[in-house]
Amino acid sequence: MVVHKWTSLACTAFLLVICLTGLPLIFREEISDWLDDSSSRAELPADAPSADIDDLVAEARRRHPDMIVAAILIDDAKPQVVVWMASSWADFQDAGRRRFIKFDSRTGQVLGESGSGKSPGAAFVDWMLHLHADLFVGLGGELFLGVIGLLFVAAVVSGVVLYGPFMRKLAFGAVRQGQGSRIRWLDLHNLLGIVTLSWALVVGVTGVVNELTTPLFALWQRTDLRAVLAAQAGTPPTVPELSSLQAALAAVRGAMPDRFATSAAFPGSPYGTPHHYLIWTKGTTPLTARLLTPVMVDAHTGELREILTLPWYLRALEVSRPLHFGDYGGLPLKVIWALLDVVTITVLASGLYLWLSKRRQRDQVEVEAGRG
Amino acid sequence: MTTRNSAVWRWPIMLALLTVFGLLSALLGEGGVWWPLSWLALASPLVAIGACLAAGIDRTARH
Repeated sequence: MVVHKWTSLACTAFLLVICLTGLPLIFREEISDWLDDSSSRAELPADAPSADIDDLVAEARRRHPDMIVAAILIDDAKPQVVVWMASSWADFQDAGRRRFIKFDSRTGQVLGESGSGKSPGAAFVDWMLHLHADLFVGLGGELFLGVIGLLFVAAVVSGVVLYGPFMRKLAFGAVRQGQGSRIRWLDLHNLLGIVTLSWALVVGVTGVVNELTTPLFALWQRTDLRAVLAAQAGTPPTVPELSSLQAALAAVRGAMPDRFATSAAFPGSPYGTPHHYLIWTKGTTPLTARLLTPVMVDAHTGELREILTLPWYLRALEVSRPLHFGDYGGLPLKVIWALLDVVTITVLASGLYLWLSKRRQRDQVEVEAGRG
Repeated sequence: MTTRNSAVWRWPIMLALLTVFGLLSALLGEGGVWWPLSWLALASPLVAIGACLAAGIDRTARH
């Protein structure tokens, strides 16, 4: 009882914020699409040929000659490529200082650019995401909310421990009427909590894992990626110019025909390596589409150097994402996710009510005892 | 009325198993029937809530 009370109380306020902001985030793709009209995209047949990625990168450089091209993102749902740029690599690590240009991946036409004011959809989703994941304070906020998530998991587990003895005298799902609102809400709290138990645990645990994204990737870069680079040392770039990214992507496709390249980090990137294009590929099944495989292509010779295997903790992180977001089973799954989230909000709110009403009762008893 | 331990946990365990099945079937199954199966399984806790509340209202109405 003590464990359930204090773990719950410590996390309830933040958890209410997380659950409420999570609600619109479940539908973030739909919200962005709905609020941001992309009708400027040309109507072309589905098999229209793609533009040369090198031309898009060159166009981005022409528009911002003072900036470095940091990464490209290839959308697999919409025909678009986003080129990310920044004044320096330090600036690129600061989300507020990154710039992007969005291209139609078939015509090469510019669809949008950062700095021209954030679209209302993107701004809303961004705001919700900060409140949900880092409280606007970056890594510190992420780790703090990770701890809140752990408290939530502890609250759920201790709640289950209390459920057994409590229900020994009651039928499953009984919500007693006519014995006051406290009893009714207590029964409702128990019912809603126990039926959504495993969903809440899965979303809670995967939420905690998601909050560890930054340190886990840093760990991988410092260990595995560094070891691969050390093994390749002694072959400094012989050609100063960068080789073709389009050719690098083609080399990756040749080596892994069943995978799709989703992004590429340019050499020198803090999220990449000094002399390679680090190209991230995804599979085609629902699960392998979540399990990314990075490929290192020498950014000077254009040679494919290494297909990397991610360690278990990054695999766990990758599997945690869909299980937290609920974005892997179509719109009906998202709706169910939202309803289960509303149930969780009710459990949190009723828990808070139960604690407050008990305190009020106790205060009353004390006042009456004082009078007596 | 005292309910035995096994009866207390029968429904919670059933719903927990259905939830886990629903969570995994859309992720591991490759399209086809796995998505609707996942929707049905994950909706089961919601259906259980609805059924329990409806039964409660019914009981109150009869009193």
